[in-house]
Amino acid sequence: MREHDHDDPKTSSDPHIAEEQERAALTGMLPAEKLAYLQAQTRRHFLRNFTAGVGTMFLGASLPELCRSVHATDRSIDGNLRIDFVRDPSHPLSVLPPQFAPTAKRIIYLHMAGAPSQLELFDYKPDLAHLDGKDCPQSFLAGKRFAFITGVPKLLGPQYPFHRAGQSGQWISDRLPHLEKHVDDLCFIKSMKTDQFNHAPAQLLVQTGNARLGYASIGSWVTYGLGTENQNLPGFIVLISGGNMPDGGKQLWGSGFLPSVYQGVQCQSHGDPVLYLKNPEGVSRQARRSMLDIVDEINRQEHKEFGDPETVSRIAQYEMAFRMQMEATDTMDIHKESAATLAAYGARPGEASFANNCLVARRLAERGVRFIQLYHWGWDSHGAAAKEALNLGFQDRCRETDQPIGALLDDLKQRGMLEDTLVVWGGEFGRTSMKENRNGGSPFVGRDHNPGAFTIWMAGGGVKSGYTHGKTDAMGYEIVKDPVEVRDLHATMLYALGFDHRKLNYPYQGLEQKLTTVNPARVVGEVLA
Amino acid sequence: MAFLPRQLIFTRRHRLVVLVPTLVLVSLVLAFPPDGQEHSPWLLFAGKFHLLTIHFPIALLYLVPLLELIGRHKRFSHLRASVEFMLMLGLLASLFAASLGWALARNGGYSGRIVAQHMWGGLLTALACWLCWILRDHAASRRGNIVYWAALATTIALVSWTGYRGGQLTQGENHLTEGMPAPLQSLLGISTDESAAADATTVAVVDRNTFYGARVEPIFAKNCYSCHGPNKQRGKLRLDSYKTILRGGKHGAVIKSGNAVGSELFHRINLPQTDDNAMPPSGKRRLTPDEIKTIEAWIKAGASETSPLNSVQGAPTSIAAAPKEIELPEYDPSIADKARSMHAADVASLQKRYPDLLQYESRTSAMLSLNASLVGEKFGDSDLAFFRPILEQIGTADFSGTSITDHSSDLIASMKNLRLLRLSRTRVTDDGVMRLHDLAHLQSINLLGTQVTPAMLEAIASMPRMERLYVANTKITPASANTPTLKQKLIF
Repeated sequence: MREHDHDDPKTSSDPHIAEEQERAALTGMLPAEKLAYLQAQTRRHFLRNFTAGVGTMFLGASLPELCRSVHATDRSIDGNLRIDFVRDPSHPLSVLPPQFAPTAKRIIYLHMAGAPSQLELFDYKPDLAHLDGKDCPQSFLAGKRFAFITGVPKLLGPQYPFHRAGQSGQWISDRLPHLEKHVDDLCFIKSMKTDQFNHAPAQLLVQTGNARLGYASIGSWVTYGLGTENQNLPGFIVLISGGNMPDGGKQLWGSGFLPSVYQGVQCQSHGDPVLYLKNPEGVSRQARRSMLDIVDEINRQEHKEFGDPETVSRIAQYEMAFRMQMEATDTMDIHKESAATLAAYGARPGEASFANNCLVARRLAERGVRFIQLYHWGWDSHGAAAKEALNLGFQDRCRETDQPIGALLDDLKQRGMLEDTLVVWGGEFGRTSMKENRNGGSPFVGRDHNPGAFTIWMAGGGVKSGYTHGKTDAMGYEIVKDPVEVRDLHATMLYALGFDHRKLNYPYQGLEQKLTTVNPARVVGEVLA
Repeated sequence: MAFLPRQLIFTRRHRLVVLVPTLVLVSLVLAFPPDGQEHSPWLLFAGKFHLLTIHFPIALLYLVPLLELIGRHKRFSHLRASVEFMLMLGLLASLFAASLGWALARNGGYSGRIVAQHMWGGLLTALACWLCWILRDHAASRRGNIVYWAALATTIALVSWTGYRGGQLTQGENHLTEGMPAPLQSLLGISTDESAAADATTVAVVDRNTFYGARVEPIFAKNCYSCHGPNKQRGKLRLDSYKTILRGGKHGAVIKSGNAVGSELFHRINLPQTDDNAMPPSGKRRLTPDEIKTIEAWIKAGASETSPLNSVQGAPTSIAAAPKEIELPEYDPSIADKARSMHAADVASLQKRYPDLLQYESRTSAMLSLNASLVGEKFGDSDLAFFRPILEQIGTADFSGTSITDHSSDLIASMKNLRLLRLSRTRVTDDGVMRLHDLAHLQSINLLGTQVTPAMLEAIASMPRMERLYVANTKITPASANTPTLKQKLIF
């Protein structure tokens, strides 16, 4: 019967009318279904359901208070900061304007997984060069915990020469010749700090605001707040390169307590962009459509019965996947770019490289994707092996990323997109001023983790250009001026997108959950243009 | 006016007796005026009830003329019988509340012009009330009636004025005007500019060419005047003029010139916020490290009023280096509803017709953002024509990769509030672009990959707000720019 409905051109031409008719049919059937259901009940069913039922009665009374779903809540649990927007639960990804005029419409976040050494790239410490090889002062070590350093380590000077670049005259090492051309577009924060000194929790802190599992990532918050501009693509896309997943795993782009429709979609830069997105052989798009229609209908019925927002997520995701079949494949296909563009990025179609991902990031940004997250693995320069030594593997990481980032900034600037795209580059913590000497006398040079100070940069979308915020001590070990917490960075990013970080919240477990957590966060006004 | 019922509850002697506490209170106020110090915590506690009790006599006194007026009507004439009782009660209640007010002012560290005005206003109100009570006996005659009503009017005026002054004490000096809608403000000629208000109350004129005037005084003005200024002198200290700074407070001098560490003021601003003696006290904004350094350098250099701006060594170069705090104000999304109402129907129908293309710039804004690039070539001149009713509401428009042509130029030229325009990879030409030269707010235009030539540069670059022209992949080259300013605006 339903098949017949859909073949009818009158009803299928307008999806809204079709939907309404379906709904009417469903309601009409319900009493009969209920009767059948009741007739099938046995004594055992009754006894089993009874106990659950008592619990349900309690929950029924308190549930609306305990877990309000995507529906609008007029007042927050803590009573003062109101959530001021309404999400239509049947369109969880529809576009919502931000709270106030934004300076950025989207973010491209380049996460250098493993934490690149600020002392070899941006944070120039000539004094450290003079002290190279000297014993580390005790004051540096007292009360500190390190991932690997034991005993009294030696100080390690900068491994690469630095020079001033651009009109702004900011220091940069010779490892990043392409980025150097953009130094006047960059806004450095050299006083980032974190409280995590291991990769996975530190990455989680940077990406979800919390070092533990189960919290919503920046991209999820942004998609939750703003929706998806292009309904044929996810609002939050993740691209991975460097041969490994970041230590934090897929939780880094998870949606945590937010409905899972807001989680990041990991795309591949080689092969199918999204696994299993293509129709299996022998299944036409038409056949896939009618299958989805039936699945949707079942899901809608389920949602009507239980009201679980995850059911809505599922419907939305099926629908998006169907629309993505066309658009995603096209967007991810960098064959469509000119040879000159491919050369500028150093991209080779078919590889899983950072260069390809940067090019894809630009294509996604052009098509209205809100949050594009790139991870490049391999920056954990302990010096325990050639691959991760500051004097070897580190150079490769710089080469792999420098040209693509330069080309991405070039492209965004040329296309006028740097005006409303915020590019963020950074790792999860910094590296120590001391040499890590795990294997004694090895030729490899490395540094341990330093949560006390690290450098990130931002460009475009409303941040100052050619500017440096914050300062570390002469060893580059601790912050001496304007410390910036990770949550301050989050608040600043949300501000650029037009959000008061305190008001982008979601009620869960009795708390107005926020990206910036319960701790006070500060919008770093100094870096805003 | 006609006959007044003479239902005397009180004798003349009663009335004179009531005058006694009034006069006692007046003499109390004269003998022990509020002096900015805190004398007795017990009296201060009692004084806090001033704010609670004061509203009772206020309401009573406002009721009196109301009852008199309503009572003129025959049906309500019995109401007037209660007027005398209410006057008496109002008088006693206002005396009671006023004594509490004195306790609060005397022991809560209040002093200054507004407190004095509020206090004497309250006492005069009580006296006026008493007068009304007396005069009401003689209101039977025409003249007596006029005098009585005049006294009543005076009472009401005094109550209102005193209440307003009280409001200023608790809610801030411009508590009525600060939230006033702008049109009303301009109609009444009220300026809520804080600096103007501060200037009005600051007697001392400072020389901005001196270090004190340019660097130190602004810090005090911003952080200290609210408690140590013209209206309040906590601890008998005034920091709003050089003379009073030197005079110090109740514990003596606060500044020892040349000796920052030994100066009470410097000591206090350096105490941790949790310390009882810390200044500004907890709950107020702390001084920034740069501000503290500025004061330190000033005291060390002799704390002079006249030494020139550049004579003080060791002061941070500029206060502007202080952290830039971003205000995240409360806002009301319903304000936008009003601004949007005129075009709401048009916007809604366009949003239905072109899903996702048209969005409000923010939840509080009526301006729109049009992004036709999402549908690419499917969007053409005929589509843009549908947007005619809302063209002036569009703040940013992105037509990248659409099939619009010069035919749309007039429509785009009508987007009077346009700030950002993207025409990249469209078929627009010089002709179409040059017709946009009247867009007074346009800051950024993207012509990447179009057929434009250097011929249109002059017209576009001379637009008043124009900052960025994206002209890569066109016939325009860096050599096309004939002036340095134009060169700066071109992006390739």
